[in-house]
Amino acid sequence: MTYRIGVDVGGTFTDFLLQPAVGRPRAVKVPSTPADPTDGVFAGLAEMATGESRSLGEFLGDVELIVHGTTITTNAVLTGDVARVGLLTTRGFRDALAMRRGIREAQYDNRCRAPEPLVPRWLRLPVTERVDATGAVLAPLDDVDVHDALARFAAVGVEAVAVCFLHAWANPAHEVAAERLATAALPGAYVTRSSAILPQIRFTERVSTTVLNAAVGPVLGRYLDRLTTRLTLTGFRGTLLVMQSNGGVAAPATARAAAASTLLSGPAAAPTAGGAYTAAHGLRDFITVDMGGTSFDVCLVKDGAAALTAEGRIGRYPFGLPMLAIHTIGAGGGSIAWIDEGGLLRVGPRSAGAAPGPACYARGGTAPTCTDADLLLGRLDPAGLLGGRLRLDPVAARGALEGLAARLGLGVEAAAAGVVDVIDANMAAGIRHVTVERGHDPRGLVLVVAGGAGPVHAAGIAGELGIARILVPRDSSIFCAAGMLFTDLRHDLVRTLVAPVDALDADRLRRLCAALARDGHAALAEDGVPETRRALALGCDVRYVGQYHELTVPLLAEEAEAGDLSGVAKRFHEAHDRLYGYALPDTPLELVNVRAVATGLVDRPRLPEVAPGAAEAARRGRRRAWLAPERAFHEVDRYDGLGLGAGARLAGPALVELPLTTVVVPPAWRLETDRHGSFVLEPA
Amino acid sequence: MSAVDPVLASVLQRRLRAITQEMGLTLLRTTRSPILNEARDFVTGLYDAQGRILEQAEYIPILAFALAPACRAVLEAFGDDVHPGDVFLHNDVFSGGNQHNDVAVFRPVFHEGRLVAWAATKGHQADIGGAQAGGYNPKATEVWQEALRIPPLRIVERGRPLRDVWRLVLANVRLPIVAEDLRAQIGGTVVGERGVLEVYRRHGAATVERHLDFLFDAAERRMRSELRRIPDGTYRGESTVFYDGHHPGSRHRIVVTIDKRGSDIAFDYTGTDPQTVGFVNAPYASSFSAAILTLLMLVDPDLPHNAGILRPLRVHIPRGTILNAEFPAATTFGNTLAGPHSDAIFRALAPALPDRVSAGWNRMLGMTVTGLDPRRGRRYVDILFLALKGGSGAVRGLDGYDHIGLINTAGGLLAQDYEMLEVHTPHRLRRHEYLPDSAGPGRWRGGLGVETEFEVQGADVTGVVFGDGVDEEARAFGLFGGGPGALNAIELATPDGAIVVPRSKDVVAIPRGTVFRQRAGGGGGFGEPRERPAETVAAEVRDGVLSPEAARRDYGVEVHPGTFAVERVTGRPRP
Repeated sequence: MTYRIGVDVGGTFTDFLLQPAVGRPRAVKVPSTPADPTDGVFAGLAEMATGESRSLGEFLGDVELIVHGTTITTNAVLTGDVARVGLLTTRGFRDALAMRRGIREAQYDNRCRAPEPLVPRWLRLPVTERVDATGAVLAPLDDVDVHDALARFAAVGVEAVAVCFLHAWANPAHEVAAERLATAALPGAYVTRSSAILPQIRFTERVSTTVLNAAVGPVLGRYLDRLTTRLTLTGFRGTLLVMQSNGGVAAPATARAAAASTLLSGPAAAPTAGGAYTAAHGLRDFITVDMGGTSFDVCLVKDGAAALTAEGRIGRYPFGLPMLAIHTIGAGGGSIAWIDEGGLLRVGPRSAGAAPGPACYARGGTAPTCTDADLLLGRLDPAGLLGGRLRLDPVAARGALEGLAARLGLGVEAAAAGVVDVIDANMAAGIRHVTVERGHDPRGLVLVVAGGAGPVHAAGIAGELGIARILVPRDSSIFCAAGMLFTDLRHDLVRTLVAPVDALDADRLRRLCAALARDGHAALAEDGVPETRRALALGCDVRYVGQYHELTVPLLAEEAEAGDLSGVAKRFHEAHDRLYGYALPDTPLELVNVRAVATGLVDRPRLPEVAPGAAEAARRGRRRAWLAPERAFHEVDRYDGLGLGAGARLAGPALVELPLTTVVVPPAWRLETDRHGSFVLEPA
Repeated sequence: MSAVDPVLASVLQRRLRAITQEMGLTLLRTTRSPILNEARDFVTGLYDAQGRILEQAEYIPILAFALAPACRAVLEAFGDDVHPGDVFLHNDVFSGGNQHNDVAVFRPVFHEGRLVAWAATKGHQADIGGAQAGGYNPKATEVWQEALRIPPLRIVERGRPLRDVWRLVLANVRLPIVAEDLRAQIGGTVVGERGVLEVYRRHGAATVERHLDFLFDAAERRMRSELRRIPDGTYRGESTVFYDGHHPGSRHRIVVTIDKRGSDIAFDYTGTDPQTVGFVNAPYASSFSAAILTLLMLVDPDLPHNAGILRPLRVHIPRGTILNAEFPAATTFGNTLAGPHSDAIFRALAPALPDRVSAGWNRMLGMTVTGLDPRRGRRYVDILFLALKGGSGAVRGLDGYDHIGLINTAGGLLAQDYEMLEVHTPHRLRRHEYLPDSAGPGRWRGGLGVETEFEVQGADVTGVVFGDGVDEEARAFGLFGGGPGALNAIELATPDGAIVVPRSKDVVAIPRGTVFRQRAGGGGGFGEPRERPAETVAAEVRDGVLSPEAARRDYGVEVHPGTFAVERVTGRPRP
């Protein structure tokens, strides 16, 4: 028997989906272990091995694939807990990183603060060198400057060096030389040059992306080193892949060199996972939300696809690598409730995380959290999560909330209800950001709910937004881990070829496309993808002569072979009109880049089906629970979620208890189980 | 059913704003002039059938609030003679325009045969004729010497371009890219039209318009509740404009009296000096925009920006003054008067709103250059935006914003990317960094300015200097004990070894190989400098944005030159 495993290391929990070659998949969830996240990974692997009645070594020997996502790099940037970076840059331009072209995003807001640059000015050191836009060297690289700067870096314990010189996209020689000097002078430091991570014109985006990469490189590197070492020592001989921000997966060596491409590693699997579960309902427009312990990630999927952006931001730092447009706010089960200077109740963004965790975990946490409020209000089973292995302590939860209640002048249950109201409103605002604020009405969309805390709060959030349909996958608490097993390998490749479209050298295009194909195949071969499972899609970046920006349009394989860009031109004019309201069919076109997306197709697991069954069979009695949106206590029917067969129907108020979470069904809502065992909630 | 659905209202508001942003993408992605696609010197907007603001993407606010007046001018000029597929051009400052180079394009949007909205874009075109390439003519004494005047002008009729009209306009413009960039502006209005029609199709005209009325009222209510937070009273502020370009040493006063009663506010500029003989004058639309954008910095920044927010507002600018020059005055300097204009408003309201006003922003000094790019054999125009962006004033609790630029743009103007600049403009950059000691000292310091140096490699290059902040009194002012920001300066080191220091409003020939150097000053500080934490001062010395001398002089902090530790603190209030 062989296995595949999806692993999602979050801030609070580490989630797993075990997919055996034959039989039902199994979800596993263990607390994350921030001090050494591999401990959590191995705790989960051990649990799966035990479940399969195997030793860990035997079990791992039969695991052919582990797809791994992690929020380690994201959390490092958002909390500022990144490596100490030194930046080497062209003399005269050391402030570009901090300036961000002088933009103030909140235009009229004189209280808008610029983000703290990831490298302080005293570690942004200039070196004499200069290359122009044609790649010509105007001033040679001054080695002495580089040595002096590196000596200063060494003296203050810099862990990573970012090298970003003007026009290195046109000629990387100086960056390559500086990289070599840095590697020699600071052994063990993570060294990144802009011409390797983002070889594209536009200094602002390049220096920011290079620095982000350097800032998270050591963090990710340490983690992957430890993980691969432990896996190998324990008997793993299969393939390890890392989830990337672009919605694809990559080999560890690729991820390590471009550490910043994992900045959305965890949540990037959500749209794929959402697609797998909504396919059963023929839905192509939905919102995925993932409420874990620390963060709440929202992604809008329209017509089956999530938007990809190459002009993203991590926090407020420009980021040029392609990534899914996922919006994250600080709201989760571990979010801490507090009272601000104005006396208002606030929840988050600070989180009790995995350690110490919410007060009710009884691991030393004393701050009142969202999970404590949910427990006190009867919305979580006091018997605990993870099949009772994580017991929840209602006395500790009450103790933590009492202080808050006293300061608010409320009863403890009213205070807990307030915590739920506030966090639901925060999350609703997060969804508004990707829907209403971009002009999409959320009321026509389905809310696909994931994360341990998601199903507890989904109905409350939907009520705020007027959303009338919620889909909770049975394995929702490990949603992204599941999505990873559906995700293809992906390499984005680009080569620059600036030439007029109507007078293109067909041979040159053919050679260039062949080179891209070769690189794509080589990258996939390195990932272990057999030739029959590879796909290559070409595209051209084209513009009207004189424009500053390009549009990417598809280039068909036969067009590349024939060296014929007439189809590309037609697609460009059409796209230009569709996006920008006009086309200039008589204006000459210029080719700028040729792109390739090399995809390694994975064998997508089939979602298992569940046997039909009536709701009544799964009833477990009643419990008193407080429910949104009525904001009141009810005597509520409890159901065993795993016992609900396909077609089972029940009416709210009800609590559907799963090993890892609880689906809250408010009054005047109903729930129906679909053939895969996912729960669909709608107003009755 | 006539009820208003507050959720739908909110969706519509955001949808309309998203449409204006999509319109903006057309200009950002498809234009040829770096003034548009790099600096983002444009705005887009949607207006109802009467020309009232529905939503705008206000990248450059000084342009934004001049779109509605121009839209009304188009309506007045054409009345019922407006048809689906028409396109109108406008830039005339005596019928609602703010500056000639800021050319507006309007497209009427028809739904089921009825005019329901206008989609508009306004962008700073690289050239629009007149005596001086690039548009800034400091010698002008009347409008005809400045630019081609375009009153409301139909250029496309029912989808058919009026070729003779086009030819007339373009025959008066120097650069061929202007034709292409006007096409882009028209494309932007098509994007706006499609978006509005989609909204109308989805929800129906009656529902949409009922909710738009609600949105106007809601915005007005929010604006009024913001205005109620300003203590009632009459507040007076002044500032000075230096040198009209004709009479060295001339000074011109801006006087504003702000009367706040309940939820209404009135700005009266009686007492402001008469218009000048030169181009240091503003048309009404530009001054009106400046007043609004300054007010918007004093209220909740999240207010929706539709016509409702203007209802509680009265603006009276006497005709014939420097802020409302009468026909046929020259006015190209008008947008730049937003600097001293907002200074007067902040000064007036500082006693009433000490927690909201900012200290002075750097008054910009800029240069527009035109010349021949020898690499392409083509003429080019560039406004050196990256060099002119100084710092903003500090507010209580927060340092000013570094390198934000002139207040007219409220932080929306982008400095050019260095690499894109060098590819598209024959200038080789040598330096662009924060200017040490440029921030006005204070408990909260002003925003930092920048220093810029580049070599001019164009041929036949002419520079026009405009702006101010070069006179001692024009330094960004401090508030509540804070000090002023550093001055602006431009100098040219020509290949023959001479150093030329042009004055503002000078037109200078710049030989190829000249090194251009500019210092853009910082913003004013807020509060007593000696209350700034010594560790913060030391950290800025370590970062090299504050000299040890300035730390000692302004803050009383002695910093160790090697470790950057605080060694001694003097002249501090007792803790």
